[in-house]
Amino acid sequence: MLLVHIATSNGKIKKSSLEVLSHARSEAAKAGMPLGALVLDPDPGRYVAEISAYGPGRICTMADPIFASHLNQPVTQALKQALAHLKPKVVAFASTEAIKDILGALGSETGAAVLPDVATFALTASGVKATRPVMAAKILAETEATADLVLVSVRSGSYDAVESPGSPVVEAIPFQAGNLNVILKEILASAGGQVDLNEAQVVVAAGRGVKDDDAKRLVDELASVTGAAIGASRAVVETGMFPATAQIGQTGKVVSPTLYFAVGISGAIQHVAGMANSKVIVAINKDADAPIFHYATYGLVGDLYKILPPLIAELKAVYGR
Amino acid sequence: MTILVCIKQVPDVSAPISIRNGQLSTDTDRMVLNAYDASGVEEALVLTEAHGGQVDVVLIGPDKAKETIRKALAMGAEQGFHIVVEDAAGMDSESFASILAAFLKTRTYDAVFTGKQSQDSDAGLAGTMLAAKAGLPYAANAVGITSDGGGLMVKRQGDAGQEMIRLGFPCLVTCSNDMNNPRIPSLKGIMASKKKNVESIALADLSLDAAALAGKTRVTGYANVPARPAGRKFEADPADLAKQVVGLLLNEAKVI
Repeated sequence: MLLVHIATSNGKIKKSSLEVLSHARSEAAKAGMPLGALVLDPDPGRYVAEISAYGPGRICTMADPIFASHLNQPVTQALKQALAHLKPKVVAFASTEAIKDILGALGSETGAAVLPDVATFALTASGVKATRPVMAAKILAETEATADLVLVSVRSGSYDAVESPGSPVVEAIPFQAGNLNVILKEILASAGGQVDLNEAQVVVAAGRGVKDDDAKRLVDELASVTGAAIGASRAVVETGMFPATAQIGQTGKVVSPTLYFAVGISGAIQHVAGMANSKVIVAINKDADAPIFHYATYGLVGDLYKILPPLIAELKAVYGR
Repeated sequence: MTILVCIKQVPDVSAPISIRNGQLSTDTDRMVLNAYDASGVEEALVLTEAHGGQVDVVLIGPDKAKETIRKALAMGAEQGFHIVVEDAAGMDSESFASILAAFLKTRTYDAVFTGKQSQDSDAGLAGTMLAAKAGLPYAANAVGITSDGGGLMVKRQGDAGQEMIRLGFPCLVTCSNDMNNPRIPSLKGIMASKKKNVESIALADLSLDAAALAGKTRVTGYANVPARPAGRKFEADPADLAKQVVGLLLNEAKVI
């Protein structure tokens, strides 16, 4: 079986999981392998209809209140139990922070081969082959895993989510809670934008050029007009102007929206590693030689304080808000 | 508090990189201490400065990687362990985690820190694999660490917010470079580091055999990232610029 883990957050399935499920469906069909989906949640039944629309032959659910918030130990325990029961050949995940947290430990505990954070993957006769960005996403490494069980996590935006409805068998797998020696004390909610960065169709990202509250207000307004999530480069996260959850780049989030506004971002390679897969990039920077212009679909050379107000006004007219 | 930091020597990824004869080649061949590991060393030093104790470092790598151990000792770590592996071809994250797990059986520490990933491969697996193999509770992607004496409180960057995780000793933490700015070794630190002990360890000393450590994953080749189609750059009056780009987004790119 090719099993796809479905990540959920606040009662919604993450789009990146549906992207992985869609690609897995075509890989499983080519290999003649059954396709399954696995969801861990306090109330996983609420996702069955939406998952069915993507065509897995089987949907497995594990229910427990502890899955309301991510904690590595119970998630690893649950996945181990599910894998022991379902005996898949390959398990595919969306590469979320939660999965990055458990993937290595799960690999070691199950004896699996692990291909993390891949841009593409395909089934082979003996395992999985995949391409992974390495060296700050300057190079693609072609990698291969040969094992009875292979775990592969996929960067968001690598594939399109495409429906293909089926009538899956739904199975509830019991979760045997184990002892916990890792305790989640508290979650500090981010004070960032209202839209989830990983899921957003439009991202407005701020860099060093966003120097003060006036510029930040313009960034907020551009995001609000376009319904965008707000991102940031490491520089403005370090100054405390934007929350760490907004950081995009090699050490932060990897995003691939349809439209990416880079506002006052120079385009250091560590930042580009997290956004180069965006479909259309609009860059605004007063330095005509800034590296971001190598990546920008439309590069606007000029002062963001002067360009953003008319840009916001024009977009307001288009979006009608 | 005794802390072991696992460190790695990596190529400087900010240097231009090309593919030559199927292998990666950097213009400078400059090797550096992995930035995430440097943050681990820094945080370990801050914790032991506040609570007492000692920071040791362990590195797997060829003889020439010793300079990276010296760097960590110059920052303030006390003792270095160098597990000498001249040729790591065929090894993957799991192989390195197995070597570190074998090393950990010979020593006792309250906490083990690793970088959350290495800046060359960006796999981010070895730390949590080591935790699993050593049976240690762990927290990954730490952006802050404090101690209450009996364990650690780790602030980790999660998907939607920051998760506060309590771990009792012994435990493992993988560190983000967003946690701190690693200190630059002082001249005094550099001088002192030359007198500090670096113990050289062979795989055989850990009852390990390189052939048996071959990984289940391998790199079969490298490719350049496909270039983005060339874009256009505009410089004009801000009002005209705004009109023009919104027109392009509407009619050419069709994304709004």
